[in-house]
Parts: sequence; structure tokens; C-alpha cells
Amino acid sequence: MSISSSSGDVLASALAVLLVLLACVELGDAAAAVSVYRLIQYDLAGAPLGSRAASVNHHAAALPLPAGADLSRSALVAPLLDLPLAFLREYLVQKKHLGALLILLPEKFNDKDAAANNDGNGQLKGALAELEKLLLHEEVPYPVYFAFQDDNFDNLLADIRKIASSGQPASATTGGYKLVVSSPEPKKVASPIISNIQGWLPGLKGEGDTEQLPTIAIVANYDTFGAAPELSVGSDSNGSGAVALLEIARLFSRLYSNPKTRGKYNLLFGLTSGGPYNYNGTNKWLRSFDQRVRESIDHAICLNSVGSWNDELWMHVSKPPENPYIKQIFEDFSDVSKEMGVSVGIKHKKINVSNPRVAWEHEQFSRFRVTALSLSELSSPPEFLESTGGLYDTRESADAESITRTVRVVSESLARHIYGLKGRNFDVFAENSSLAINPRYIQSWLDLLSRTPRVAPFLQKNDPFIAALKKELSEHTADVYVQSDVLDGMFTFYDATKANLNVYQVASVTFDLLFLLVLGSYLIVLFSFLVITTRVWIIPILQL
Amino acid sequence: MTVFHFLNCAALTFGPHVVYYSATPLSEYDTIGTCVKAAVVYLGTALVKLVCLATFLKVPENDKFDPYQELMKIFIGFIDVAGLYFALTQLTHRNISQNHKFQAVGLGWAFADSVLHRLAPLWIGARGLEFTWEYIFQGLEANANLVMTLSLAALGSLMWLRKNKPRTLVPIIYACALLLATMPSITSYLRRSLEWQTPRVVGFELFSSLAMAFISWQLFSACQRTM
Repeated sequence: MSISSSSGDVLASALAVLLVLLACVELGDAAAAVSVYRLIQYDLAGAPLGSRAASVNHHAAALPLPAGADLSRSALVAPLLDLPLAFLREYLVQKKHLGALLILLPEKFNDKDAAANNDGNGQLKGALAELEKLLLHEEVPYPVYFAFQDDNFDNLLADIRKIASSGQPASATTGGYKLVVSSPEPKKVASPIISNIQGWLPGLKGEGDTEQLPTIAIVANYDTFGAAPELSVGSDSNGSGAVALLEIARLFSRLYSNPKTRGKYNLLFGLTSGGPYNYNGTNKWLRSFDQRVRESIDHAICLNSVGSWNDELWMHVSKPPENPYIKQIFEDFSDVSKEMGVSVGIKHKKINVSNPRVAWEHEQFSRFRVTALSLSELSSPPEFLESTGGLYDTRESADAESITRTVRVVSESLARHIYGLKGRNFDVFAENSSLAINPRYIQSWLDLLSRTPRVAPFLQKNDPFIAALKKELSEHTADVYVQSDVLDGMFTFYDATKANLNVYQVASVTFDLLFLLVLGSYLIVLFSFLVITTRVWIIPILQL
Repeated sequence: MTVFHFLNCAALTFGPHVVYYSATPLSEYDTIGTCVKAAVVYLGTALVKLVCLATFLKVPENDKFDPYQELMKIFIGFIDVAGLYFALTQLTHRNISQNHKFQAVGLGWAFADSVLHRLAPLWIGARGLEFTWEYIFQGLEANANLVMTLSLAALGSLMWLRKNKPRTLVPIIYACALLLATMPSITSYLRRSLEWQTPRVVGFELFSSLAMAFISWQLFSACQRTM
């Protein structure tokens, strides 16, 4: 009795283990699994914007749509250039529902050398910019994902169109392709942190100098904002500015390393964050300074988008150009640029203190009564959340030559100002000298930044990228410090920015039912055949 | 939909075995014990085959058809025949006629083969969302395998259990048995060297299994008549 019950127990436990094992087996693999990047989801002053959902489990549909197609339970797959914005706008304005939207971006954005591509290039940039503008400022209740178009997707689209052309839209009863993204519910990013990295190059205090040396600050914001946070690499806005700052730091650290060539100005380098959000980070950074340090800043040069210009650079100021300080700085820049064969123009934009919109970084300095200017290739101030490193701003939209030119303009004029070389006609940072600007350094840092998405709320305090910037700045400057602060409450961000899309080819329910019917009849036929042959016929044979 | 598909394919793979058992007189004579014993012998044979394969075969560098490896595989395939011999002759069965013995052994053998080779892929693969024809082909192969195993068991019982056979038929019996025993190698040759697609291979298997079944049936009834 006991033996049989113990064997029964063993059997039962073995069965239980087997069942658990079977249940753990992962369900089958898909025809294709692709990385997809979600449209940003954020609240601006309480108003929900961006894509508000993340998981997808819908049948795929493609343009052109068959007549009477109900898209509220389909995922629309559309290449960027095939997606008419009017159609999308209509859907958003009329609050019509889509199951999901998958936008396919071309793999390589542009080839600057190919003249033939220029038309397509411009069209692409325009389409992307418009799409980004539309999606960023609307509340989209369904998931919107971006993916790169490749052969798999081309085949998928062709197949979907073939199925659709047979007259039936994809649904549970007709089979087709199913897109599945299993993503957790997007959660708020609790306290988005902005990290400002600063470094000093202390100047040479003479024997009799008792007061603080004046400081010249060079600032650039390194973070980005775009429609797809995982794709916002912002090469031009503002990767170019950050790279230029690093190169200027490197050049001046060589000069300042020798006490004989150390200038009588301190140099402060600041890589700030929170740029797209009205330069909130710069504000917090300046606020963190001691008032005396702030007052010792002679002027600040802010670099913003300096990666794709040829002949004209713009200097944006908030003080009137007649101001003697501004005039002197502008003359320095003009002299150097004339020698280089390019021009620097000056643009004046008054600050409206009551308007919270801060279009240029120098305006934050001006609010603290520090003379400042912004150097940029843009001639007019960018709109809110524009030119902040969106989808189009990839490695190809910035080039090392423009950044090299910017570095030359800034560093030469700075050197002339610090060392009092006005009027003397020679280059401090001449080519083939030990102080030559290093284009390979610029290129390798630009490459790195173009591979790193840098949307501030998704960069943790201990992110390896921030550590890398800190380390690089420590190589060139002293007293490197990372000042972290929380982004102001106007913005709230949500996570779940990247996911895996599985594409399954599914058979319709009718197919399964049909198969069941065929199978049933086969088994019945087999049964009758066997009964007849073995019981009805064999018996006479056996009786022979 | 996916569990539905799994159930469909499982019915296709294992249904015929159940149908065969219940439709023929096997169920009347309660030959389930024989089937189970044959299944156990199959498991043992499969284990021995695995060990031999692991010991004697090299891991192929490319997918080409290597004649020496295939010859080795054929020899190892004969272990199958030895297993069937063991199941037919050495095991003590209850008092059932020759006729039913080979059927029960063949059925148990084929059922164990299907379970061992096809249940796990079916469980893992057919339940996913993705639809492929693979599992339906696998089910058809299981059907063909059942027929071939029954034919082989019939010829085996003719060879080893029946003492007086007509002289002329003996070489034919041995030839057919050889053909059936080497059938797995033939299909792998077709698949790899001639690069036949799966539907074609499955069609060939079904056709050849029916042909061999017909031939063995004729041989069996011929031997039966002369008794």
C-alpha cells in the first residue's frame, strides 16, 4: 500500500515537473524581429503630447488602403515618403483611431556628395521636419514607432499590398501579417536629471594682482530632443557645438600648460544640458555659482549648431551692437574671419523678461547680467523644440570642416583678445604647428556623438557618456565638476522608448477550420478503410 | 488559433496510430501490452543508435552528401532492424496470432518513433503565432512512417517467425526488407544531394510507403496461402 502510494507521489511530482517545464517553453519565433523606436511621450505643462501607448498587437495594413478599411484595429506600416501628411493630419484632427503607426525611415539619410541626391535629400529633410513638427505637438492616442527600412520591410509591404489587393483587409478571419510589440506600460521618468559639466583653465595671476582674474566662458549644450528619443543624436544641434568646445579646450590647455604662455584670463568651459527646454540647465548652472565668480565673467561665448556652414557665421547678442564690449568682440571675430575668407554677421534680439521662451543660450547669461553672445550658423532664433537634434540631424548633417572653421574663428579671436595681439598679423593656431587644430580629433568626437542619443531626461547621472565627457574635459582642464539638478516641472517624460517588433505571418481561422475538416474526414476514411480491410476481408482469408 | 493549430497537427501526427489500434482487431484482442513493450524496445534501440552515431560519425563540415558517412548511417540503421527482431522474437507475448503480433509491434514501434521525434518540435513550434507548413508535413511524414514500419514488421515476421516460406519469394522478402530499412537514408539523400523540397520529399515518402505496404501485403498473403 505504502509502496504504491509513494510511487504514485513520485509519478505525480514527475508529472508536475514536466508540466512546469512544458509551460516554460518559449513560444515560437517570428518571421522577423526588428528594433523599433517609439515616438516620445511627454506632458508639457500638464498637456499630454506625443504617443500615449506602447504595446502593439494588430494586423498589418499598408497604403494604398483598400476601400472601407477599418484602421482602428490595424497597424499601418508606411515608408516616410509614402505617408501623406494631410492624411495623418486628418486622422489626428478628426481624432480617428489607428491601431498603431509604424513609420519606415530610409537607412542612409543623405549623401552630401551626390548632386543627384540633392532633390531627394531636400525632400527627405522637409518631410522629416514636417512630420516631426506634427507629431511632437499633437496628442497621439495610439503607438507610433520608427524603424529603418530594409529588404525585410520591403518584402513585407509588398506582401501586405498583395493580400490587400485581393479585396480583403487583414483581420483575424483572413490571415496576413501581425505586428506584435510587447512593451510594458510607459511610466513617468521620476526626476529627470540634467548634468552640467564644467572645467577651469586658471589664468596667470601676476605678483601684484590681488583681485580675481577675469573669466571668459565658453559654453555649449550637449543634449538633444527629437521625435524619437533613441534616434536623437543631434550631430549638428548641438553635437557640433560640444565638439568645438572640446577642441578649443584642448588647444588652450596646451597654451595654458606653460606658465610663460598662460594668459591673464581664466577660461571656464561649460557643457550644459537642458538646452531644448529653454536652456533650463544653463540657468541652474549659473545659479549654482557664487556671485563673485559670476561677476568675474568678462563675457561668455555660447556655441550652437556650428556644424554645417560654409561662408557665414552669425553672432547673436542681446545687448545692442553699439555696446563697446560687444563691438570689440565683434571686431575680433570679424578680423579673424576676414583673414579666413568667411564672414561673421551680427544679430540683435532683445530679451523680453516676461516671456519664458529662451531661444539662445546667451540669453540665460544676460538674465544674470553677464555679457554673452551665441555663435551659430542659424540666422534666426529656432522655435521651441526645433533645431534640437531631431530625426534628420544625423552624422551626415554635420561636417568636421565647418567645426574646424568655427574653432579657428573662436580660438584665434580669443587668443588675440587674451594676449593683446590685436593688429599683429599672425596665427596663433597655425597649421603644421604644435597648436594646429586637429581635424581628426573633431571627427572622432563628432562620430561618437552621432552614435549616442542624448535626450537629457533619459541620461542618468552616472551615464557612461557623461562620464566620458567629464573624463575628456579633465584631460584638458582642471577642477572638473558635474553639477546635477532636476529639470524644471514644466516637462514630464515617459519611458519605453525602444522595443522589439515581431512580425508574424498568421493563418486565418478559416484555414484552421478547413484543415480540421479535412483531417477529420481523413481519419474517418482511414478508420472505415481499416475496419473493412481487417475485419471484413481478413476473416475470409484467415478462414482459408 | 495557435493552440488550435497545435491540436490539428497533433491529431494528424498521432491520430492514425489511435485509429489503427481501434479500427483493426488489435483492440479486440487487447494487444496494448505488446504495443507498450515494442515502444520500450524502440526507446532502447534509439539510445543504442544515438551512442553509435556519436561514437562513429564525424560532425559534418558542410552539407554535402558524404558517401562514407551515409554508409555508416545505414549500418547504424540496421540496429533498428535488430531492435525489431528483438521485439518480434525475443519478447514473450500473450497468445496472439502472428498476424496481430507484427501489427501490434509495428504500431508500438511507430508510435514511439513519432512521439520521440515529433512531439517536442510540435509542442514548441506549432503553438507560436507564426504559421508554417512544417508541422503539417511532419504529420504526413509520421503517417508514412507508420505504414513503413508496419510493412517492415510484416516482412520481419515473415523472415523470422515463419519457418516454411515458398522458395521463390524469399529473396524478394529480403530485398524489400533491405529497401525499407534503408528508406531513411534514401530520403536524406534526396533531401541533401538532389535538394528536393520538403513537399516533394513528403510526397515521395507517402507514395513509397503505400507501394511497399502493398508489396508486403501481397507477400504476406502469398505466404499465408501456402500455409
